[in-house]
Amino acid sequence: MSSPFDGLQEHAEKVKECAWAFQQAVECHVEDRCKSFEELRQEVIKLEREADIIKRRIRGHLPKGTMMPVDKFQLFMYLREQDAVLDAVEDVLDWISYRVKPGIPAELSKDIFLFVDSTIDPIEELSKMVAEARKYFDSFSDKQREVVKEIIRNLRRLEHEADKIEHMLKQKIFNMEMDPVTVFHMIRLTEIIGSISDHAENAGDMMRAMIAR
Amino acid sequence: MSTEYIILIAGFVFGFYMAWNIGANDVANSMASSVGAKAITVRQAIVIASILNLIGAAFIGSHVTDTIRKGIVSNEILNDPHIAFVGALAALLSAALWVSFATWKSMPISTTHSIVGAMIGFGIIAGGFKAILWGKLTSVILSWIISPAFSIVISFIMFSIIKRLIISRNNSFDRALKLSPFFVGISIFIVVLSFLFKTPLGKTLSIGTPMAVLVSAFFAVLIGYIAKFFLKRVKRNIDGDNGEDVFRYIQVGTACYVALAQGANDVANAIAPLAVIYFFVKTGTVGDQVPVPFFLLLFGGVGIALGITMAGRRVMETLGTKITHLSNSRGFCVEFGAATTVLIASKLGLPVSTTHAAVGGVLGVGMARGMEALNLRLVYEIVLYWLLTLPAAALTCMGIYSMLQFILQRM
Repeated sequence: MSSPFDGLQEHAEKVKECAWAFQQAVECHVEDRCKSFEELRQEVIKLEREADIIKRRIRGHLPKGTMMPVDKFQLFMYLREQDAVLDAVEDVLDWISYRVKPGIPAELSKDIFLFVDSTIDPIEELSKMVAEARKYFDSFSDKQREVVKEIIRNLRRLEHEADKIEHMLKQKIFNMEMDPVTVFHMIRLTEIIGSISDHAENAGDMMRAMIAR
Repeated sequence: MSTEYIILIAGFVFGFYMAWNIGANDVANSMASSVGAKAITVRQAIVIASILNLIGAAFIGSHVTDTIRKGIVSNEILNDPHIAFVGALAALLSAALWVSFATWKSMPISTTHSIVGAMIGFGIIAGGFKAILWGKLTSVILSWIISPAFSIVISFIMFSIIKRLIISRNNSFDRALKLSPFFVGISIFIVVLSFLFKTPLGKTLSIGTPMAVLVSAFFAVLIGYIAKFFLKRVKRNIDGDNGEDVFRYIQVGTACYVALAQGANDVANAIAPLAVIYFFVKTGTVGDQVPVPFFLLLFGGVGIALGITMAGRRVMETLGTKITHLSNSRGFCVEFGAATTVLIASKLGLPVSTTHAAVGGVLGVGMARGMEALNLRLVYEIVLYWLLTLPAAALTCMGIYSMLQFILQRM
């Protein structure tokens, strides 16, 4: 039978693929003459849809009696978090698209870039984590387990970094002279961007439960 | 043309068909896990298995056969040779049909149990329920539990050992190499012992148990170290740290033995009834045991080899890839579990089937959490086919027997 871990890996690759389009989209949006934002957003939406199909395939095609090295529901919980990362990426772009003009204030653009950059690593780390975890389920070696645990720790660290940027940004937003709509738009945007690494960290925690002895 | 010759020709045809089916269905027992682990390709497996089954059947297969196989039906029915022949024909055809059906459904079943089921059907219709030796039947039913259970335990333990000692270690390739004499040795030990105890050729050598153990141990140590010498030349893969490669060769070795033993043991299922008819037509008598001429064994072997070549792929896929994906170390555990089970159980006088043992082996590794996914639902389905084998073959045999009687009476 085809292993559900194949699907998990495939899904993680989709998540990884969206990172580039996401970064480009935000950078483009902040620039003056942005033409490709909508294109890039559609790219992310497409990836999200493809990932959704993979997710449904994994959930729907795991026969009841399937013996796996991990609990079936752990696997599903992990998958849900991994999927939530991609959903959050899509949400960010959706949120930006609701208010293309006047968009992100110029004073904040640098910080937003920094914030977006800080979520790229967590997004990309997931596919590596799945690949290394599969190696662990193949060999059960302590060394391999340590590799996976290190990735999980790294995800936690990255989330912490992103959190710090989020706090800094929110403080800045509230202490700037802006119209309330922009404040609301920016605060909400910050929160959604922040949720990306939150979900990546959650996925890491689920993985930690899966590789527990 | 006299009826005897018609029966003889029919016997050749049905016997060949049964041999073909044995090849098509049983090849999975020996080769499926090697193919699933990608140690060899399906094509290679088919070629290797065909040759080894042919050799096993023709050269190691038994030259003497019991008139009524497996002692399921009491010998009284034999008094009328005509009934016995028609019964033999019906049994062959019905067993072959059931195995064909299972192969078509890609289900691994025991060909021996199919013949047993058919014999029961024949016994009931020819001599009533009293013609069945129910004690023997119970032991067949017991084997449904014994073979998988034994092999689950053995492959579970074997995989746990390999997991602990080799694949979970940092330098798994070196560990595997260092311990390879042990794993090769223990496999050779089982193989040589099985050869001496299980195959008809080994039985004619009639070596006593202590001597056999000694001989096997000698070969085990010898070949174990020779194997290490050769395995050293196994190129490390890019990671330089993978014990799986070492098992690849051990695994294929075990598979080859199972293929050889299978040819030797199972050819009788197809050829024994034919041999009885042949013997009667030639001499006009039938004893409790009849000799099997070499050309009949070769005939059966060719049938098996053809079956493997033409239809062996189907069941191999079920056992090798549809239930789960195996790696080399896992495949080795499955094969080791199956071979050991068959040896121990038959030494204890318990009836076992290689098919059941092979499926049990896969389950055992799965229970040791050795696989990313193991399709238990498919396992249930396979077990269902095992349970169906006896009644299905028996009922078919009854129908065919009545039909044949009807036709032959008109001639």
